[in-house]
Amino acid sequence: MSAHHSDSIQSLYEGDQSKLYSGVMAHHHGDINSAESKAQIKKIWKVFWILLVITVAEVVVGMFFSHAIAKGLVNFFFLALTILKAGYIVSIFMHLGDEVRAFISTVLIPLVLFVWFIIAFLADGFFWLRMNNSSPARGDKVEAVQHHK
Amino acid sequence: MSHSTVVTSAPKENVWIGGRSPYNVSYGKMMMWFFLLSDALTFGALLISYGTTRFFSAVWPDPNEVFKAFPFMHGSAPLLFVSLMTFILIMSSVTMVLAVHAGHYGDKKAVAKWLLWTIIGGICFLACQAWEWTHLHGELGGLWGTFTDPNTPVSSFHHFFNHHTAGHVLETQPLVAMQATHNFFNYFFTITGFHGGHVTSGVVFNILILVNTVNGVYERRGHYEMVEKIGLYWHFVDLVWVFVFTCFYLL
Repeated sequence: MSAHHSDSIQSLYEGDQSKLYSGVMAHHHGDINSAESKAQIKKIWKVFWILLVITVAEVVVGMFFSHAIAKGLVNFFFLALTILKAGYIVSIFMHLGDEVRAFISTVLIPLVLFVWFIIAFLADGFFWLRMNNSSPARGDKVEAVQHHK
Repeated sequence: MSHSTVVTSAPKENVWIGGRSPYNVSYGKMMMWFFLLSDALTFGALLISYGTTRFFSAVWPDPNEVFKAFPFMHGSAPLLFVSLMTFILIMSSVTMVLAVHAGHYGDKKAVAKWLLWTIIGGICFLACQAWEWTHLHGELGGLWGTFTDPNTPVSSFHHFFNHHTAGHVLETQPLVAMQATHNFFNYFFTITGFHGGHVTSGVVFNILILVNTVNGVYERRGHYEMVEKIGLYWHFVDLVWVFVFTCFYLL
């Protein structure tokens, strides 16, 4: 297949569309050494340092304090920082923050399902733990029940 | 563009009446986002299933006890190796976003340079994962379907647990602890394996677009949007790792 032939196919199914909507027309002739470009690169490295500091903080807490502080508090700390890291990656590295608002909503709203998934399945886990510890269904469980008494 | 200035001067622009994309993104990029959304649901299902199993277990292996080895080093170094892996992946995410950035400015040389670094980072991460799997299987005896035999001696899994919190169950109900060990390894290898599969395909995609970049395919096309699309995929893989890291190594 000649190079010319494959190029014409590519331009048919994506060339024009991408040029229209992704802003490449505006940016294409920009200078990578311009002040705007340098500011963007600076922002990328800033996010890198933020992610690194958060990860180091998590590891330090996980290594030295995870048994010294209340478990619930430590877990809240880990989950909050995880969401924060995810926010930086999606918003800055994946440039979702630069998209139009309707598109941001379209991507993020389906993720609200996770709130229900997590509540439902963890509640299920709690329920089964209680069942395991309280119903004498198997031999080894009977022993456990007697032990708790 | 005179047409767009006319439209934007109207009091409220209606983008939904046709003639343009209301989302202001191309079809390919939008579909990459929707694919990643569905992939997020898949990873979410795996991690939530892991969470459910962990919640219904009376005891669970302690990450500080399971993940404490480091290559060519004796003694205990909890979480040190996984921190290195996390650092490598964050770093490769930065080089990827720098490649995307260079693509916005049509700088072919810089795109190729940063893609090459991203590929190197991805391969380093996979090498680390290969070492970790080998260690967990070879020295700790973990893999899919292990720790199922009721006659397994407690000594082969008691060191995965924190003895302050799980010591009582280990003594009185060793089978409960063994079942937890079995579940732990099944989920660990499934989820990190699925993630590692994504990293592997990401490295392959990156190699393909590096070849295309060097050959000038995107230069002739006039834009580097393909680098952006693969970049989205690569950052998503990093994003998933953030959650895997929290669920398996921290919590």
